[in-house]
Amino acid sequence: MDLDTLSARLSTLEQAGLDAIRAASSPEALEAVQVAYLGRRGELKTVLGGIGALPAPDRPQVGAIGNAVREALEAALEIRRRELQTAALDARLARETVDVTLPGRPFRSGSLHPLIETNREIARIFGQFGFVVYEGPEVESDARNFQALNIPPDHPARDLWDTLYVDVPGYLLRTHTSPGQIHVMQQTAPPIRALLPGRCFRYEAVDASHGFEFFQVEGLMVDEGTTMADLRGLLDAFAQAMFGRGRPTRFRPGYYPFTEPSVAFDVQCVVCNGVGCPSCKRTGWMTILGAGMVHPVVLRNGGLDPERYQGFAFGLGTDRIAILRYGIDDIRMFLENDLRFLEQFS
Amino acid sequence: MRVPLSWLRDYVDVDVSPEALAERLTLLGMEVQGIEHRGADWQRIVVGELLTVEPHPGSDHLLVTTVRTSPQEPVLTVLTGASNVAAGQHVPVAVPGAVLPGGRRIEVTRMAGRESQGMLCSGDELGLTTDADGILILPADAPVGVAMTDLFGDVVLDIDVKPNRGDALSLIGLAREVAAATGARVRWPEIVLGESEPPTESHVSVEVEDAVLCPRFVARYVGGVRVGPSSLRVQARLTAAGVRPVSNVVDASNYVMLELGKPTHTFDADRITDGRIVVRLARPGERLETLDHVLRDLTPETLLIADSAGPLSIAGVMGGASSEVGAATTAVVIESAVFDPVTIRRAAHHHALRSEASLRFEKGQESRLARIGANRVAQLIQAWAGGQIAAGCADTNPVEPEPSRLPFRPWRVSSLLGADVPVAEMRALLQRVEVQTEPAGRGDVVPVAAGFPGVVLGAADAARALVAIVPPHRRDLEIEADVTEEVARVMGYDRVPGRLPETPMPEYRPDPRRTVDAARDALAGRGLDEVVTHALVGPVDHERLGMPADDPATIRVTNPLSIDHSQVRRSLLPGLVRVLVENERQRRSDVSLFEVGHVHRLVDGVPAERPMLGVLLGGDQSGAAWNQAARPADLWEVRGLVMALCARVGAAPPSAARPDSFGPFEHPGRTAVLHVEVDGGACELGRAFELHPSYLEAVEARSGHVAVALLDLDVLQSAIPAVRRYVPFPRVPAVERDLAIVVGDGTLAGDVDRVIRESTAPLLRGLRLFDVYAGAPLAPGERSLAFRLTLQAAERTLTDEEIDATVARVVDALAARLGARIRS
Ligand SMILES: [Zn+2]
Repeated sequence: MDLDTLSARLSTLEQAGLDAIRAASSPEALEAVQVAYLGRRGELKTVLGGIGALPAPDRPQVGAIGNAVREALEAALEIRRRELQTAALDARLARETVDVTLPGRPFRSGSLHPLIETNREIARIFGQFGFVVYEGPEVESDARNFQALNIPPDHPARDLWDTLYVDVPGYLLRTHTSPGQIHVMQQTAPPIRALLPGRCFRYEAVDASHGFEFFQVEGLMVDEGTTMADLRGLLDAFAQAMFGRGRPTRFRPGYYPFTEPSVAFDVQCVVCNGVGCPSCKRTGWMTILGAGMVHPVVLRNGGLDPERYQGFAFGLGTDRIAILRYGIDDIRMFLENDLRFLEQFS
Repeated sequence: MRVPLSWLRDYVDVDVSPEALAERLTLLGMEVQGIEHRGADWQRIVVGELLTVEPHPGSDHLLVTTVRTSPQEPVLTVLTGASNVAAGQHVPVAVPGAVLPGGRRIEVTRMAGRESQGMLCSGDELGLTTDADGILILPADAPVGVAMTDLFGDVVLDIDVKPNRGDALSLIGLAREVAAATGARVRWPEIVLGESEPPTESHVSVEVEDAVLCPRFVARYVGGVRVGPSSLRVQARLTAAGVRPVSNVVDASNYVMLELGKPTHTFDADRITDGRIVVRLARPGERLETLDHVLRDLTPETLLIADSAGPLSIAGVMGGASSEVGAATTAVVIESAVFDPVTIRRAAHHHALRSEASLRFEKGQESRLARIGANRVAQLIQAWAGGQIAAGCADTNPVEPEPSRLPFRPWRVSSLLGADVPVAEMRALLQRVEVQTEPAGRGDVVPVAAGFPGVVLGAADAARALVAIVPPHRRDLEIEADVTEEVARVMGYDRVPGRLPETPMPEYRPDPRRTVDAARDALAGRGLDEVVTHALVGPVDHERLGMPADDPATIRVTNPLSIDHSQVRRSLLPGLVRVLVENERQRRSDVSLFEVGHVHRLVDGVPAERPMLGVLLGGDQSGAAWNQAARPADLWEVRGLVMALCARVGAAPPSAARPDSFGPFEHPGRTAVLHVEVDGGACELGRAFELHPSYLEAVEARSGHVAVALLDLDVLQSAIPAVRRYVPFPRVPAVERDLAIVVGDGTLAGDVDRVIRESTAPLLRGLRLFDVYAGAPLAPGERSLAFRLTLQAAERTLTDEEIDATVARVVDALAARLGARIRS
């Protein structure tokens, strides 16, 4: 074996290796090529095994050639490996391509009932002004629903509330949230800023704007020096929050036995903006709530001295606010719970 | 109250448009709820003069008339079925092309072979009177050819008079309000009587047994009357005001009720035995046939007008048939009385006879009006029905009360309103509602709250305070705050400025809805729809829950609108199920609902209510799609939801157990009672269950499986720890061991779970049931429950020996306590 022969064999080996690497079409085949040429018993080792037969001065030269062949093969292996990886990735991506316009997995979106959410919104607005929520019972005593509110038995003002009575002496289904005023005054010392949302009942035939069950929110503020101007300012703030900035409002006289003076709070019609339309009976105004300064007798019944304390109360119909807020034209929708209605409030 | 403007103008000048007047009255507290333009819908209806009236040759009930409607136009031939017409009369004629109220068009028609060129109108067809039988005969001076609208059109305001303003349930009272708004003067009707002897006392006497029930009774006598219909003008006014014309005598009484707000009654004088009237309570067993020809049993609380022969009328409510004024009446007795409002209200309610009169009596009557009203009715009867008014009157209490004095502090008026109203302006404002003011004196008492002692004015305050001299018709002005309201409403509420409160804020108070709202958000976030159902349900709803219709714990409505809403709900279930069924009828098969609401029952005779959360799942719960299979509504779904919402609100997951007993609506094999830990003890949170197939069938549900949870929100709230603390987790690795545990019939997963927890504490960090298997090679009735135990010590890595020992302890305990073995 001489130098030239060995060199020629290494050269042939290199060429064959490079061909095999280029021909390998999978990572496994490439691995086999690597083992075959560069492995412990690979071709390169075998050829270089003949180096011992060479004269000593020639050996370093052959060793250098051998290293060059190894490096060339390793470089080719690396390039081929990358090529195969890229091809495999491309194949996978192609395989995984889908119709992206197919609908997503249907997570169901639930809904919150517009009446309860309207109550929550009302509480959120008044909460900014320090009003906190209290709760009162639905089955209420006549004493608190009427008598403590300055409405004695057989008083003509009782005609304002068509009452549903129950078979428990002295009790009825509360006709308004106003008895909450008494509950709050009896359990809390002024300063009082209270909000009482709740379900109310009336003996009333059901139609598009009436129901025998409905929701109200009562407001009560009592302190030394609370005035009707405070009431006006708060209700204006509420109207702006609920119906948008700049909407005109007005007080006009009203009547409730438990407030004196009593007012109705009107907001410019949200349908016609004051021009006059069937929704506002052509007056340009919509009555949002009733209010007034807490009657001195009611303060007394709540355990407070009317010479020291003044207060106001208001009662607003959740249904009415919700109707205006969402443009609902039939109050019966609220308790019918048709999913086609409810799902619009998700 | 319906107020015809043409009538109102008798008492006050109105020089603004009806719309402007309505606005001003509304801003004064007399809310105008509607403006009716009467006659605006009479198109091409004119006054015609009947020239001839002859029978129709081809019909025995039709008349052929010729009518002249103007000198220029040809005479019309008009057929009519009415029989009250005669040549020379003036009548309303709807000429061809006319439109009647309600949109009915009048054209040329043929009747029984003759052409009719229009129609003669009745008062009822025009809405002018209530007479539908005959043609409306107009006054002879009604100018021929003039449109009926121009002659008889009117504007009627519908005014909502509040219950405290009985004085304003009258034209004169509303004229006073108009005057307050516009500054005009009120004109009272001039009441001048031409009286004749013999005097009233020779015809009628009055005795009142209880002056508390009847503080004043005035009677007058008018003889020689001729009862007949009132004039068209009177009939039209009454009709426009909503009162049916009857006869000149009865109309006079009703006219005065509307004019002055004073209800009166007229009796046929010849039907009052001996002319002796007694006002008394009914005696046991007494009966009276009222004007509506109903024979009524009179309760001993009923106040009567009677004579020696028995009851004549129910005071303030309705007259009796026997003494009714009719065509044959020649003499009448006028009753103008004041009765106890509560007595009248109760009688009207008891007999379901609420009338315009009783409504006014209920609100209290001004004593002064008793005499004035009697005189006014006598005057009108004489004017309309002729006769002689007997001199003087019978009057049981001929004392006119003084105006009342109401001391008030102008600075308190301003402070309540939050608006500075100068004292001079305040006095001027009050004067506009006929309230005079004068300086107060030391010792005057300011009424602050009726029924409570007033505030005695000292020298300093007295010097600044005023006294309101309240006219007798304003019985609603009783306390200082009432004066404040008068000042404010006359001044106008636009003078009350709006400003945000500057007074101190209240103490912090936790929002009682916080937990509920968190639960609602959690459930809606998991795809459930919130519903609000009726709190009033039917007896059948409760019966299906196993509560009989007469269950002593159920609260029932005594005056329900319908049987379906006659009981106060004891459970949220019926309402939720109704929503399910209604939506199934809309072909929905993916119903998942929740409701937050109160349930009610009687505890020791006292109503008790609790806030509850109800969840109901029916049909597919996953929202099945091309890439997702349907998931049935079952016990596991609803229990998972309960666990999720407990986690959301911060409560530990509830434990489940098989209950001892079941409701008829619960699937006995699929009902769990849920407990949470409260103050170290187990407290029942509620139940999770699938509905019983029989219940589903009874309510006509389509879903085969419906899962429900009913949770007590107060218990849930109390299961939430007041503070939540972070617990450090071990940094050393945890070890997992899987155990497949074979148990026999009757052993529950919950039992296995409990034994594992008890026998591994304190090393157990996690426990998860990941597989349940039954079938070969296990024996029938056996189940394999595969649990993954996560074991970990706080500060060190567990040794193999410790782990093996722990697992061995679990296996031994399971074997010993449950007879369980490990499946290898
Ligand atoms: Zn409008």
